[in-house]
Amino acid sequence: MNAVMLTSYPRTLTVVAVLLTLLMLAYGGAMDAVYPSLLGVFEWLETTWFGVIGKTWGAAFAFVEAVHLLGLALLGGCVLAGDGRLLGVVLTDVPVQTVVERTHRIFVFGLSICIATGIFMACGVATKIYYLPVYWFKMLALSAGMLFHFQIRRPLLGHDIQNLNPVVVKMVAVASMLVWFMVAATGRWIGFSG
Amino acid sequence: MTHEITSDNKNAKMKDDQAAALVVAQAFIVFSAIYWFTQIESVRELLQLAYG
Repeated sequence: MNAVMLTSYPRTLTVVAVLLTLLMLAYGGAMDAVYPSLLGVFEWLETTWFGVIGKTWGAAFAFVEAVHLLGLALLGGCVLAGDGRLLGVVLTDVPVQTVVERTHRIFVFGLSICIATGIFMACGVATKIYYLPVYWFKMLALSAGMLFHFQIRRPLLGHDIQNLNPVVVKMVAVASMLVWFMVAATGRWIGFSG
Repeated sequence: MTHEITSDNKNAKMKDDQAAALVVAQAFIVFSAIYWFTQIESVRELLQLAYG
């Protein structure tokens, strides 16, 4: 029975193992052990070209932040359109597979913009965000969101959606919207902290 | 015969992908509900302290 479980559900078992490991790391003090050693990295980030430009030239930071927000708008729009279609709320006259496929391409583009501009912005305020718990929470949410999108949502929707359990599809859509909402909300929270 | 094996593999993979998606989606939904509930509660308590 156990052997059958191991061979039949490798992805599910991996997911359960990852979730349990994350819980152990979060409550086992692993972050507290790693956290102090990261300060040096964040201090170095501020001395890089990106850090110096971001700190000394406000217009450059504002320009990159505007592009970051546009990338976020693109990403959020794709999440709302794709997951809204999975929930059967928007674009109901277009086939699900078409919406999911097209929004995925733009989603990847928006995510790339957000990551590239986010790295630049982080360099400019590196020692500030290092001390913000909400920054670390955002990074956790972003990692969870990317893993969820590429390792869970994408493989699932690669199957014929008509053959999938509609409850699972709808739960995936809700979870996807929640996790990207968390990323956006914690991102804006950084701007109002410290 | 080969066609049947491929079809069985596809079904098994679909079941696995669905189970994994269900586990993660549940975890995210429950976590989000608890997280935002506690955030709203803390704001409500702060407002109560400030304005009574």
